[in-house]
Amino acid sequence: MYLARVIKRVVSVVKHDAYYGKKVYVIKPILPNGEEINTEHVAVDYVGAGIGDIVVCGGAPGVAQTVFGLERAPIRTLIIAIVDKINYIEM
Amino acid sequence: MKLGIVIGKTWATRKVKELEGCQLFILQPITSNGNIDGTPIVAADPENIAASGDVVVYVTSTDASQAFKSGYAPVNASIVQRVESIE
Repeated sequence: MYLARVIKRVVSVVKHDAYYGKKVYVIKPILPNGEEINTEHVAVDYVGAGIGDIVVCGGAPGVAQTVFGLERAPIRTLIIAIVDKINYIEM
Repeated sequence: MKLGIVIGKTWATRKVKELEGCQLFILQPITSNGNIDGTPIVAADPENIAASGDVVVYVTSTDASQAFKSGYAPVNASIVQRVESIE
Protein backbone atom coordinates (compact mmCIF):
# COMPACT_ATOMS: atom_id res chain seq x y z
CA MET A 1 0.00 0.00 0.00
CA TYR A 2 1.17 3.51 -0.63
CA LEU A 3 0.19 7.12 -0.19
CA ALA A 4 -1.05 9.05 -3.20
CA ARG A 5 -2.82 12.22 -4.20
CA VAL A 6 -5.92 12.06 -6.40
CA ILE A 7 -5.24 14.40 -9.32
CA LYS A 8 -7.72 13.70 -12.13
CA ARG A 9 -10.79 11.69 -13.00
CA VAL A 10 -10.95 9.30 -15.94
CA VAL A 11 -14.18 9.43 -17.96
CA SER A 12 -14.90 6.43 -20.13
CA VAL A 13 -17.87 4.95 -21.99
CA VAL A 14 -16.55 1.69 -23.41
CA LYS A 15 -15.13 -0.45 -20.63
CA HIS A 16 -14.91 -3.90 -19.11
CA ASP A 17 -18.16 -4.95 -17.38
CA ALA A 18 -16.48 -4.93 -13.97
CA TYR A 19 -15.90 -1.16 -14.25
CA TYR A 20 -19.55 -0.11 -14.69
CA GLY A 21 -20.76 2.25 -11.96
CA LYS A 22 -17.29 2.77 -10.51
CA LYS A 23 -15.29 5.96 -10.32
CA VAL A 24 -11.79 5.79 -11.78
CA TYR A 25 -9.13 8.32 -10.84
CA VAL A 26 -5.59 9.18 -11.86
CA ILE A 27 -3.44 9.17 -8.73
CA LYS A 28 0.11 10.37 -8.14
CA PRO A 29 2.09 8.51 -5.46
CA ILE A 30 3.58 10.80 -2.81
CA LEU A 31 6.07 10.60 0.03
CA PRO A 32 4.84 11.19 3.61
CA ASN A 33 6.06 14.82 3.39
CA GLY A 34 3.82 15.46 0.39
CA GLU A 35 6.54 15.32 -2.25
CA GLU A 36 5.25 13.76 -5.46
CA ILE A 37 6.87 10.76 -7.11
CA ASN A 38 7.33 11.07 -10.85
CA THR A 39 4.80 8.45 -11.98
CA GLU A 40 1.05 8.09 -12.27
CA HIS A 41 -1.34 5.23 -11.60
CA VAL A 42 -5.02 4.67 -12.25
CA ALA A 43 -7.17 3.45 -9.37
CA VAL A 44 -10.79 2.49 -8.76
CA ASP A 45 -12.47 4.31 -5.90
CA TYR A 46 -13.84 2.20 -3.05
CA VAL A 47 -14.29 4.80 -0.29
CA GLY A 48 -15.67 7.94 -1.97
CA ALA A 49 -12.51 9.95 -2.51
CA GLY A 50 -12.43 13.21 -4.48
CA ILE A 51 -9.90 15.14 -6.51
CA GLY A 52 -7.17 16.64 -4.30
CA ASP A 53 -7.54 14.09 -1.49
CA ILE A 54 -4.56 12.24 -0.07
CA VAL A 55 -5.43 8.56 -0.08
CA VAL A 56 -4.03 5.11 0.61
CA CYS A 57 -3.96 2.89 -2.48
CA GLY A 58 -3.33 -0.78 -2.80
CA GLY A 59 -4.93 -4.14 -3.29
CA ALA A 60 -3.87 -7.71 -3.84
CA PRO A 61 -4.75 -9.97 -6.77
CA GLY A 62 -8.30 -11.22 -6.38
CA VAL A 63 -9.33 -8.68 -3.78
CA ALA A 64 -11.49 -6.64 -6.16
CA GLN A 65 -13.68 -9.68 -6.85
CA THR A 66 -14.37 -10.02 -3.12
CA VAL A 67 -15.05 -6.39 -2.27
CA PHE A 68 -17.23 -5.68 -5.30
CA GLY A 69 -18.86 -9.12 -5.29
CA LEU A 70 -17.95 -9.88 -8.89
CA GLU A 71 -17.00 -13.14 -10.51
CA ARG A 72 -14.22 -11.59 -12.56
CA ALA A 73 -12.69 -8.20 -11.87
CA PRO A 74 -9.56 -7.03 -13.70
CA ILE A 75 -8.93 -4.33 -11.09
CA ARG A 76 -5.47 -4.03 -9.59
CA THR A 77 -5.38 -0.75 -7.68
CA LEU A 78 -8.08 0.36 -5.26
CA ILE A 79 -8.38 3.56 -3.26
CA ILE A 80 -8.87 2.02 0.16
CA ALA A 81 -8.63 4.95 2.61
CA ILE A 82 -8.83 8.74 2.72
CA VAL A 83 -6.04 10.16 4.87
CA ASP A 84 -6.92 12.80 7.46
CA LYS A 85 -3.53 13.15 9.11
CA ILE A 86 -0.02 11.72 8.78
CA ASN A 87 2.44 11.48 11.65
CA TYR A 88 5.92 10.30 10.85
CA ILE A 89 9.55 10.58 11.90
CA GLU A 90 11.89 11.82 9.19
CA MET A 91 14.81 9.41 8.84
CA MET B 1 -3.59 0.23 -13.53
CA LYS B 2 -2.06 2.84 -15.79
CA LEU B 3 -2.85 5.02 -18.77
CA GLY B 4 -1.55 4.14 -22.20
CA ILE B 5 -1.98 5.12 -25.82
CA VAL B 6 -2.38 2.50 -28.55
CA ILE B 7 0.51 3.02 -30.95
CA GLY B 8 0.38 -0.24 -32.88
CA LYS B 9 -1.01 -3.67 -33.36
CA THR B 10 0.44 -7.14 -33.71
CA TRP B 11 -0.84 -9.91 -35.94
CA ALA B 12 -0.29 -13.51 -34.91
CA THR B 13 -1.80 -16.54 -36.57
CA ARG B 14 -0.60 -19.07 -34.06
CA LYS B 15 -1.30 -18.16 -30.52
CA VAL B 16 -2.41 -19.65 -27.23
CA LYS B 17 -6.00 -20.95 -27.33
CA GLU B 18 -7.18 -18.43 -24.71
CA LEU B 19 -5.99 -15.55 -26.89
CA GLU B 20 -7.98 -16.51 -29.97
CA GLY B 21 -10.21 -13.65 -31.13
CA CYS B 22 -8.28 -11.27 -28.93
CA GLN B 23 -6.18 -8.52 -30.42
CA LEU B 24 -2.72 -7.71 -29.15
CA PHE B 25 -1.92 -4.00 -29.19
CA ILE B 26 1.31 -2.15 -28.65
CA LEU B 27 0.79 0.38 -25.87
CA GLN B 28 2.93 3.34 -24.90
CA PRO B 29 2.38 4.10 -21.19
CA ILE B 30 1.64 7.82 -20.72
CA THR B 31 0.85 10.23 -17.91
CA SER B 32 -2.44 12.15 -17.78
CA ASN B 33 -0.66 15.13 -19.42
CA GLY B 34 0.28 13.00 -22.42
CA ASN B 35 3.95 12.63 -21.53
CA ILE B 36 5.69 9.32 -22.23
CA ASP B 37 6.10 7.16 -19.11
CA GLY B 38 8.35 4.18 -19.79
CA THR B 39 8.86 1.78 -22.65
CA PRO B 40 6.09 0.38 -24.92
CA ILE B 41 4.42 -2.89 -23.93
CA VAL B 42 2.11 -5.41 -25.58
CA ALA B 43 -1.39 -5.63 -24.10
CA ALA B 44 -4.28 -7.95 -24.85
CA ASP B 45 -7.75 -6.54 -25.56
CA PRO B 46 -10.19 -9.31 -24.57
CA GLU B 47 -13.34 -7.14 -24.76
CA ASN B 48 -12.40 -5.50 -28.11
CA ILE B 49 -12.46 -2.06 -26.55
CA ALA B 50 -9.53 -0.27 -28.16
CA ALA B 51 -8.53 0.91 -31.61
CA SER B 52 -5.40 2.53 -32.95
CA GLY B 53 -4.67 5.92 -31.38
CA ASP B 54 -7.00 5.50 -28.41
CA VAL B 55 -6.03 6.42 -24.87
CA VAL B 56 -6.83 3.43 -22.65
CA VAL B 57 -6.56 2.17 -19.10
CA TYR B 58 -4.71 -1.12 -18.79
CA VAL B 59 -4.28 -3.49 -15.89
CA THR B 60 -1.13 -5.50 -15.24
CA SER B 61 0.02 -8.66 -13.47
CA THR B 62 -2.37 -11.35 -12.14
CA ASP B 63 -5.45 -9.20 -12.56
CA ALA B 64 -4.84 -8.95 -16.31
CA SER B 65 -6.03 -12.54 -16.74
CA GLN B 66 -9.26 -11.64 -14.93
CA ALA B 67 -10.26 -9.53 -17.93
CA PHE B 68 -10.81 -12.76 -19.90
CA LYS B 69 -14.12 -14.62 -19.77
CA SER B 70 -12.34 -17.82 -18.78
CA GLY B 71 -10.66 -16.00 -15.90
CA TYR B 72 -7.40 -17.48 -17.05
CA ALA B 73 -5.08 -16.45 -19.85
CA PRO B 74 -1.30 -16.20 -20.03
CA VAL B 75 -1.13 -12.40 -20.24
CA ASN B 76 0.66 -9.66 -18.33
CA ALA B 77 -1.39 -6.67 -19.46
CA SER B 78 -5.03 -6.24 -20.51
CA ILE B 79 -6.93 -3.22 -21.80
CA VAL B 80 -10.01 -2.57 -19.64
CA GLN B 81 -11.27 0.95 -20.50
CA ARG B 82 -11.22 3.34 -23.42
CA VAL B 83 -10.75 6.86 -22.05
CA GLU B 84 -13.12 9.58 -23.32
CA SER B 85 -11.61 12.38 -21.31
CA ILE B 86 -9.47 13.09 -18.25
CA GLU B 87 -10.76 15.93 -16.06
